[in-house]
Amino acid sequence: MALASVSVLLAAACKPMHLGDLGNLAKVIWQFLSLSLFSLGGGNTLLAEYHHLSVDKYCWLTNSQFADLYALAEAAPGPSSMIVGLLGLGAGWHEGPLWALLSAYGAEIAILLPSTLVMVMACLGWRQFEHSPLRVAFERGLGPITLGILFAVGLKIVRTADVTRAGTLSIPGVIVSIVVCVLMLRTRISPLWFMAFAGVLGALGIINC
Amino acid sequence: MTEPTDPGVIPEPSGPPTHSQIFLGMLQVALSAFGGGLSAWSQRIVVEQKRWMSNEEFLTGLTVARLFPGPNQINMAVYIGTQFRGLSVALVALAGILLVPFTLLMGLGVLYFSVHELPAVDRVLAGVVAAAAGMALSMGFKILNQYWKDPVALLLAAVMFAGLAFAHLRLVPLVLVMGPIAMAWYWPRQEASGS
Repeated sequence: MALASVSVLLAAACKPMHLGDLGNLAKVIWQFLSLSLFSLGGGNTLLAEYHHLSVDKYCWLTNSQFADLYALAEAAPGPSSMIVGLLGLGAGWHEGPLWALLSAYGAEIAILLPSTLVMVMACLGWRQFEHSPLRVAFERGLGPITLGILFAVGLKIVRTADVTRAGTLSIPGVIVSIVVCVLMLRTRISPLWFMAFAGVLGALGIINC
Repeated sequence: MTEPTDPGVIPEPSGPPTHSQIFLGMLQVALSAFGGGLSAWSQRIVVEQKRWMSNEEFLTGLTVARLFPGPNQINMAVYIGTQFRGLSVALVALAGILLVPFTLLMGLGVLYFSVHELPAVDRVLAGVVAAAAGMALSMGFKILNQYWKDPVALLLAAVMFAGLAFAHLRLVPLVLVMGPIAMAWYWPRQEASGS
């Protein structure tokens, strides 16, 4: 009971900022700009940071909204890193659709710009570094780091996603996640089928009731 | 690498594509790839259908794209673009892979924030979310195999995992500390680099 009231207090203390204020919008964009170069191993490594920013730090979204947006970004066609645009949309939603879209496009450009610039430079100059020890160390060293991050992110997403409406862990949800994980590793079935099937299970009320 | 390739087919590059061809090709890549698996699709389109580059060039690009920060697919678009006429084609490739899917997704997002009070939408999304979480979980296992015989790599990964999942450290400072340690350990020894 005491714990619950503390968390309610914390939730109340966390107020979304007004993105209508350009200074706040700039702050949001700066957050994503500064994360960009840390999206190792393909981008999904930042999911836990996105969660921290949008749920804990700035309270743009609730926990379940974050999980929903993640599912939306994964299910829609195109690069799944576009979730950042959805987070920006949520951040600006209180200010009306115009500000929401502005902050959506701003956030997406911010997360992509630095890493893309580095990639452009890398493509133009990569061959010159072919035998550089720096390149070898970079290639081999970042692999294990990425491995650790991916497991932490996987755990975080399962904890965020598989909750019931009462906020406790959803056992059917966890089972679905584990089955999908195993099928992803063992088969070449398109993930779209998993999401469609799980969506049907959800519609029947099996996952979050 | 992980993608299946047909060794019998060696496509010949057929002249540099125009800007609009690049844009449409990358758009095709983006829209084909519902629910991940983008790199397999882009290989099929870029190498086998359009013959813009050889399979070897494509796989080199994939390695570079994975290595550098940023989403793989976005980095791959940059790589494909810079192979031809440099920066302007890279920008066109980026626009091709992003513009239409992003606009589509923002439309879905606006819809979500407007109507998500419907309990039916909530229930369906709860299911989709559980599947998507399973996909996220599988990513680590996918690359775990190549590190089984390297205890130092496993230790580094375990420290990163524990730091993020249990000690609740933030990603950026942790990478700034662990990254240089890992790079120092894997720095090539003298005898290995003397070729």
